[in-house]
Amino acid sequence: MSRFDVDARILRNEGLARNIFRLTLSAPEIAKNARPGQFCMISVDGKSRFDPLLRRPLSIFDARKDGEIEFLYSIVGRGTDILSQKKEGDLMGILGPLGKGFGMGQCEHPILVGGGIGAAPLHFLAKRLKTAFSVVIGAKTRDELPGISAFKSLTTRLLIATEDESIGCKGVVTAPLEEELVALTKSDAAGYLIIYTCGPWPMMRAVHHICVKYGVRCRVSLEARMACGIGACLGCAVKKADGGYLHVCKDGPVVDSAEIDWEAEV
Amino acid sequence: MAKTSHGPDLHVDLAGLRLKNPVLLASGTCGYGVEISDLVDLNMLGGIVVKGLSLTPRPGNPPPRIVETPCGVLNSIGLENIGIDAFARDKLPLLKGFNTKVIANIFGETVDEYAALARKIDRIDGISAIEVNISCPNVKAGGAAFGANPEAAAAVTRAVRAGTGLPVIVKLSPNVTDIVEIATAVEAAGADAVSLINTLLGMSIDVKKRRPALKNVFGGLSGPAIKPVALRMVWQAAGTLKIPVIGIGGITTPEDAIEFLMAGAVAIEVGAATLVRPAAAIEVISGIKDYMEANRLQNTAELPIPRAS
Repeated sequence: MSRFDVDARILRNEGLARNIFRLTLSAPEIAKNARPGQFCMISVDGKSRFDPLLRRPLSIFDARKDGEIEFLYSIVGRGTDILSQKKEGDLMGILGPLGKGFGMGQCEHPILVGGGIGAAPLHFLAKRLKTAFSVVIGAKTRDELPGISAFKSLTTRLLIATEDESIGCKGVVTAPLEEELVALTKSDAAGYLIIYTCGPWPMMRAVHHICVKYGVRCRVSLEARMACGIGACLGCAVKKADGGYLHVCKDGPVVDSAEIDWEAEV
Repeated sequence: MAKTSHGPDLHVDLAGLRLKNPVLLASGTCGYGVEISDLVDLNMLGGIVVKGLSLTPRPGNPPPRIVETPCGVLNSIGLENIGIDAFARDKLPLLKGFNTKVIANIFGETVDEYAALARKIDRIDGISAIEVNISCPNVKAGGAAFGANPEAAAAVTRAVRAGTGLPVIVKLSPNVTDIVEIATAVEAAGADAVSLINTLLGMSIDVKKRRPALKNVFGGLSGPAIKPVALRMVWQAAGTLKIPVIGIGGITTPEDAIEFLMAGAVAIEVGAATLVRPAAAIEVISGIKDYMEANRLQNTAELPIPRAS
């Protein structure tokens, strides 16, 4: 585990769709050590240490050998709104890479299931996978799927669902996911299936239940309100299935879906 | 002690403890130290006050536990911790490898629990002092209930005092009418030092979800937002007590720390700032040193400012 707390320069901070941005930083040590599913804590206002006080956890969209590291984020509040106004050349405090990632088996056929901006860490995973894999992506509308073109070049098995049918089939990810599972259980991939998912809590809960039904292992990338990102404050608690809490920043963000109490309030 | 340079001497004597500098990490913001030791050189610190420990493990409060507020953060962790035995077995051996003072923060639901913790810690090698948390706003039993009442605060202090030969630091709650009354009571009951302030009781509402932002409804406010309140209370306590005062509350920059030392604090604790930037306390130490050099101060004892009589 190598983590770095550095001031990194913004190379690009581009709007991809309404309220959705891609932030590219130059942070060679972090980029080199990053694994799919890990995240970084980013100061949204450069080196300011007062307001907003806390750094934001952002999962890694891409990390490349050239030292560039990318994040997708949507404007959800004041912090991300300030972040969206930062310009090329600005310095950002960034701490990472943090947490436990997806982990990748040697002989698996993964199905990547993403909801909206939650597809971001799956993109990094897709780029690093060396085995064949499927991708099932869902969102309310086409504009919430800005990373979609990146997936097209990485896999031939890409299924898309949007609630307004602006792209792909109408509805949510569960229907195409089940279709893909049924198809794959009749193929050579049967017995090697694993699901990696990231998205809104209700979506991941539904994916978990499908995995239970089909007897497929499921790894979920969790999100929580977080202060430190390094296991110091214990703020990012999520209820475990067997009682007690796990902490997204150090036990996750990626955990087995069976570990979670999916009926807990979040 | 032979000194080769003429730089300022940052060491402080705190209730019988010799700290290499007046900067400690505050309980609850640095885990058990080992979690952050790759990001903060613990050897540089005056000391580290570990996450509040209870006799048996506590799971903590249901989420959400954290919400950001202007220049601050509200938390309702609920004293989640692994318990004193697991701390001594799994964390302390690693922590002892660092050249810094380890202070155990303790929490009990009853006076007897505090006393039992003190007796246990007294037998554990590697802990230099006890900070007694009578001020946590996030638990139903114990905690702030002791800190808000002079007699109850004194009872806890006496029980801990009787159970250990280690220095006893009592951490005070700001959620009281008169901080001096409580501070005076714990001093009379045998405390070797007081540390203040713990978090201010606060609340935030999520207007989108139309519910309190924290599951526990109330939480403890920390961060730069509380610094003026903390500084005022430290000034009051330091002006009254004979025992040393440790200043806590929103210390983020070296200037913040110097304000507390000028107000009469013998040492300070860096809290929420560590969550934002793990090495914040290290920057505070070097900034204090720079300030003392620039102002030709030899010792931190020269920092307190005069009080109008």
